[in-house]
Amino acid sequence: MRPLDLTEKKGKRVRIFFEGRELEGYEGEKLTVSLLANGIYWLTTSTEGRKRGAFTFGPVPMVVNGVKNVDARKTKVQDGMKVERQVYGEFQEEPVGNYSGSVKEVVVDVAVIGGGPAGLGATLELQDSLMIALIEEKGWLGGDLWIRGVEVEGFGDPKRAVGDLVDKLNENVKVFLGSSALGVFEKGEYFLIPVVKSNELIEILAKRVVLATGAVESIMLFENNDMPGVFRRDFALEVMNVWEVAPGWNVAVTGSRAEEVIEELERWGIDYVHIPNVKRVEGEEKVEKVVDMNGNEYKVDALVFADGRRPDINPITQAGGRLFFRRGYFRPVIDQQHRIKHGIYVAGSAVSIKPPYANYIEGRLVGAYILKEFGFESEPCVYEEKLKEYEPEALQIPKIPFDKFNLEDVQICGCDVSLKKVDDVVRRGITDLQIIKRLTHLAMGFCQGRYCLFNGAVVVAQRTGKKLSEIDLPVARSPIKNVRMGVLARR
Amino acid sequence: MLPERAEIVVIGGGIVGVTIAHELARRGEDVVVLEKRFIGSGSTFRCGTGIRQQFNDEANVKVMKRSVELWKKYSEEYNFSFEQTGYLFLLYDDKEVEEFKRNIKIQNKFGVPTRLITPEEAKEIVPLLDISEVIAASWNPTDGKADPFASTTAFALKAKEYGAKLLEYTEVKGFIIEDGEIKGIKTNRGVIKTGIVVNATNAWAKLINAMAGIKVHIPIEPYKHQAVITQPIKRGTIRPMIISFKYGHAYLTQTSHGGIIGGVGYEIGPTYDLTPTYEFLREVSYYFTKIIPALKDLLILRTWAGYYAKTPDSNPAIGKINELSDYYIAAGFSGHGFMMAPAVAEMVADLITKGKTDLPVDWYDPYRFERGELRSTALQMG
Repeated sequence: MRPLDLTEKKGKRVRIFFEGRELEGYEGEKLTVSLLANGIYWLTTSTEGRKRGAFTFGPVPMVVNGVKNVDARKTKVQDGMKVERQVYGEFQEEPVGNYSGSVKEVVVDVAVIGGGPAGLGATLELQDSLMIALIEEKGWLGGDLWIRGVEVEGFGDPKRAVGDLVDKLNENVKVFLGSSALGVFEKGEYFLIPVVKSNELIEILAKRVVLATGAVESIMLFENNDMPGVFRRDFALEVMNVWEVAPGWNVAVTGSRAEEVIEELERWGIDYVHIPNVKRVEGEEKVEKVVDMNGNEYKVDALVFADGRRPDINPITQAGGRLFFRRGYFRPVIDQQHRIKHGIYVAGSAVSIKPPYANYIEGRLVGAYILKEFGFESEPCVYEEKLKEYEPEALQIPKIPFDKFNLEDVQICGCDVSLKKVDDVVRRGITDLQIIKRLTHLAMGFCQGRYCLFNGAVVVAQRTGKKLSEIDLPVARSPIKNVRMGVLARR
Repeated sequence: MLPERAEIVVIGGGIVGVTIAHELARRGEDVVVLEKRFIGSGSTFRCGTGIRQQFNDEANVKVMKRSVELWKKYSEEYNFSFEQTGYLFLLYDDKEVEEFKRNIKIQNKFGVPTRLITPEEAKEIVPLLDISEVIAASWNPTDGKADPFASTTAFALKAKEYGAKLLEYTEVKGFIIEDGEIKGIKTNRGVIKTGIVVNATNAWAKLINAMAGIKVHIPIEPYKHQAVITQPIKRGTIRPMIISFKYGHAYLTQTSHGGIIGGVGYEIGPTYDLTPTYEFLREVSYYFTKIIPALKDLLILRTWAGYYAKTPDSNPAIGKINELSDYYIAAGFSGHGFMMAPAVAEMVADLITKGKTDLPVDWYDPYRFERGELRSTALQMG
């Protein structure tokens, strides 16, 4: 077993070489996970020289078999693979990507973007009557449910529940795994959803669209929050429950949703310390120590933060939806049938934060609305009633302790944007996020603001006394997911 | 608060409006800028950074030569970045080469040091270039690029120091006119008394003209043009602005942050819509990777759109409208207004303060459309 393996792996063993050192991996494993299992956290270095790992915000470009700028999160290990660190800006002067092959076209009735409980719910509701494309960026279906280990209300064992739902999918459903939708483009009679699967370009034409695009983790602000060994809740759960690798053996946990992580750590027998108010993490190549607001120090080998999820607003605004602020987060404005506009439905945690089972019901609900639109019999009111049993969760708006932080060490965005850079601009009197974006580069990097725009708005609100509901968020532009130019260059 | 009156009101707080106000304030004039959103928020906010003197007629070459002098002067004085990293036009056939030889002749005649260079020389300037189909290139090392928002902000700051008032979120709603004379301007924040107005609203110019009741036919229409940016790569990888007419009227360069920025000729309109399209994503990817194959492996981070305020000959309308005293227009820059702004500011300030200018402002005569005297089409990128 490797240093951080939680279980003995049964897959085929492969040898990989990291910075010349021979390590053990298993076929099918993601590169970032194999390295973690071997105790390697520091994988890449930002433009300004900050060490970075793979499990919080920011990209992870690495040199793989001599090829620079490979996304380590999307790379699976192979026998003999040679891996090295690089600095962000390094790239391949001689392109190596294989962009041959023509563009594939797929025509369906409904495109469901997102394969979590809501996407599965919508698909299952629709599949007996209509043709569906189910598009999921991850390598698995089940979304946030699939990364959980402990029992979930309404579903019981999460893995078994996902298995049961997936087993029910029929031949009317085309499933696209590991596939990123670049946006939704209205074409009058239909919608065009370009999808990228490795380097393949697939154009999905659909009469209706369901955005079951989920929520993203809130990024907590503390000093060195970008360093290797810091885990976002979803990444921590993924390494434990999907790959059976520990984030560390002695883990600090923080955030308003810390219990969700603690339950999972206890299930795996991983030692942890709960630190409610983290000020700073420190270490040479990875987290070695956490300091809290009272100056207490804790020796740990990783820190997991879980501070609640907020709807991913990017797919919504790119598709033409509008937002409003309620219960601590920005949400899509929807009509009585859960549409952001004609033909485009939203379901799940893209709409509001609630348990996976409620998201599943909401998926079934929009499926029922669509069936009605197509003239089939359906009973949306049954799901409507059920959904009413779930009050959407409220999230606390974070209070940033500006005077207690060394603001330069707190990263607000994965692209070398410190809290200080943003705060300086706001304190100069600039409170329009469009201008703040321009002056600081906030939300202009790889994540298009997914993980930083909300915190940017919080800075403005806190410094000016403006309400978050009065702050306009810049809208997302296509492509809503990064795509290599060669993929789109086909003729 | 809205000032009660101003000698001169400039409508529009983009690069053109701001540089005009800056120039007037520098000369001691009492000037107010009315901007409906924030300074630099329109097409300036969405602009592609390029500054070039490689045009194909005397007036534009002269104006841009002066403009580059001013870009140099003010970037040094006000400490914003203007890099003279050149413009490189890639040429692929004899016809193109002949045309550019003619252009270079005009440029050289008025002191712009453009040269026709070999493909190998072009590759020395941009090592990532694919020169397999390139037969020559037009190269002027004194062209350059600047950050449109940073430079507009710098001019705005100085204009204020010279006493100009820049009013944001102040939208013009109408004019108060008596006997063919401007008496004031109505805004969403009240009325401001003035006698002299400059319409520097580019894509919105016809709306302001209509409010002022201008009868002269000045056809300026908004067209949607789009741009792309890639992930940042090592700075200094692509220094000049690279142009390829063969490949989609493409223009591309690297920003100071490291991303590759640019666009193609794909034009939609007339429209005020600004949603980026999938078709643009496909086109720009195809053309850019033809010019620089290394771009294939780079990630596209974002696309966006802005207006080209176009006239039928791709030249702006700059000048005084005689039917209404005192009304000036500086609009319709057709995709190259950012680079022209400092020289345009000088021309407009000259017209207002002296009644004449040494720069060839007649080329941009607002009456030429009505007279049917269109100019030779100005070289437009993207």
